[in-house]
Amino acid sequence: MDPQVLINGLLLGAIYASVGVGFSLTWGVLNIINIAHGAMVMLGAYVTFYLFTALGIDPFLTIPVSMVVLFVLGYLLQRFIINRVIPYGVFMTLVLTFGLSLFFIDVALIAFSGDYRSVTPGYAGAGLVFAGVVISYQRLAIFVVSLLLVLALHAYLTRSKLGRAIRATALNRASAQLLGVNVTSIYAITFGIGAAMAGAAGSLLSMTITITPFLGNAFIGKAFVVATLGGLGTIQGALVGGLILGLAESFGASLIGPSYQHAIGFGILVLVLILRPEGIMGKQFYAEVK
Amino acid sequence: MGMDTRPANPGATKGDVTRPRTGQVLAGSGLVRALSPSRPVAIVLALLSLAVLIALPWLLTGFWTRVLTSVFMFAALAQSLNIIAGFVGRADFGNIVYFGLGAYTTGFFVLAAVPFPLGIAAAALLAALIATLIGLPVLRLKGHYFAIATIGIMEGTRQLVNNADFLGGGSGMVLPILGLEPAVFNRIVYFAMFGLMVGYTAIVYRMARGSFGYELRAIKADEQAAAVMGINTTRAKTTAWAMSAGGSAIVGGVYALWFGFISPESVFNIVMGTEYFIMMLVGGAGTVMGPIVGAVIIELLTVTVWANFVHGHLAILGLAIVLVVVFIPNGVVPTVRRWVLRR
Repeated sequence: MDPQVLINGLLLGAIYASVGVGFSLTWGVLNIINIAHGAMVMLGAYVTFYLFTALGIDPFLTIPVSMVVLFVLGYLLQRFIINRVIPYGVFMTLVLTFGLSLFFIDVALIAFSGDYRSVTPGYAGAGLVFAGVVISYQRLAIFVVSLLLVLALHAYLTRSKLGRAIRATALNRASAQLLGVNVTSIYAITFGIGAAMAGAAGSLLSMTITITPFLGNAFIGKAFVVATLGGLGTIQGALVGGLILGLAESFGASLIGPSYQHAIGFGILVLVLILRPEGIMGKQFYAEVK
Repeated sequence: MGMDTRPANPGATKGDVTRPRTGQVLAGSGLVRALSPSRPVAIVLALLSLAVLIALPWLLTGFWTRVLTSVFMFAALAQSLNIIAGFVGRADFGNIVYFGLGAYTTGFFVLAAVPFPLGIAAAALLAALIATLIGLPVLRLKGHYFAIATIGIMEGTRQLVNNADFLGGGSGMVLPILGLEPAVFNRIVYFAMFGLMVGYTAIVYRMARGSFGYELRAIKADEQAAAVMGINTTRAKTTAWAMSAGGSAIVGGVYALWFGFISPESVFNIVMGTEYFIMMLVGGAGTVMGPIVGAVIIELLTVTVWANFVHGHLAILGLAIVLVVVFIPNGVVPTVRRWVLRR
């Protein structure tokens, strides 16, 4: 087993986890499959790009800004548009977010142009070599920040009062409401948190890939795999799903060939769905199908 | 707050494409019947519109003939999808995989000098067979889990075709040109797609009123109860998916002939798949006329926006989809029917 492939898989997997965790949260808690999640990742990347090029702020320091921007956007979207369609079922909201996705991507194309952009801080090329394995410092930092973000979200959902209210709503909306949870507000806040996680993922991604208005499209499929592999709506599930997908793609590309990279992820997904539909880390009562 | 007055159990609507309108589906057949005062009038109207649609390719420009052809194509695809997604309630988001398989199978046989109709028949059979084999394990899944599994199958298949050298791999497949005059050829494709749309709608119309349609709707309402009532749910679901797959595959075969070039990106195209899923929902899932109404609205909207706005056409289209979903969330056909019945 080539340790470089393992390391690459882990580094990739943490990014996938950070992209998938917000997607999984809105899906598991709100029963909304947010196709616009990829577009939100893209918006986060542009926030970082403009702060970095215009003001020279370090890309890692722009993460809170893109989280706040995307939280506000997500909160307003859910409160005033998506909320109206929720009673008509999961696939109607999916169509709605598909429309929103088209809208955001095209507006971004008009506002930011289709030019290829990149964020390259001074330390971008540096790395450490350990036992023949090359690890870029930047990639390592992205890995650590991704993990920290996911863990912070987990802590927030399990420890804070609002987090408990969110999880209570996910388990049983009616009971949560009876116990005094303001469900309308919880829905908007949860969608905002999902969007904020997309923004953070976008800021992290902006340092590793080319920024275009279409960058999110490639990650919607990944978000699907990450969310369902691990178990919908659970944070640890998204982390496990992300790491498995990263490792599977990395090893698949080195053993079978890079042209099968995506087929491997989806192959695993279909198998897991057939054998264990609730996901590897899935819990009872989360995102149940009645 | 608005949301608090709604049904308090979100789990009840999970994974159900058409829960709010189950009542209407059971109550009626087509838009024509709901709108027309008597049966003879409806027949006359239907025959008249049929005559107009048959005459149109000689009256319209080439551009509009092509637009109508693609409306019919999408309507036929949305109608195929309607069988599994609208009636059984399994959201087959990867349905376009059968369109792609149909296009490639037809292309493969036509290149091997097999006559075109035989190629299309082979495509339909192969797609139905594959849907049956995949369906036995995958149709046990429900709701969004089924939806993702179908997306996974579709993406996996696209990658396999991308790597299959005997199908041309990533560079695609060029089909032989028939050597017909373009206007004649376009008319042939127009009538092929038109025929598919009308044929599938007739099949769905018959199905909706027969015992098979009731079996499928029973499965959608409550699969366990349907099984208890003596319905062989596995057989019914799998048959429905095989029908849906075969239908999409035939459309794919005609598409391959029409465009003369297919590639993994052009026929295993998830965006196009989402497009006709939206058409079905906008028109009214589980209704007979819904897929046609949805295809006409969305495709004409797309063409109009595309023709009039050089920049921002996707933004306008996205906005239009948002508005339609927010204001007509039940689908056009059920909304119109309710409106007519209320008067």
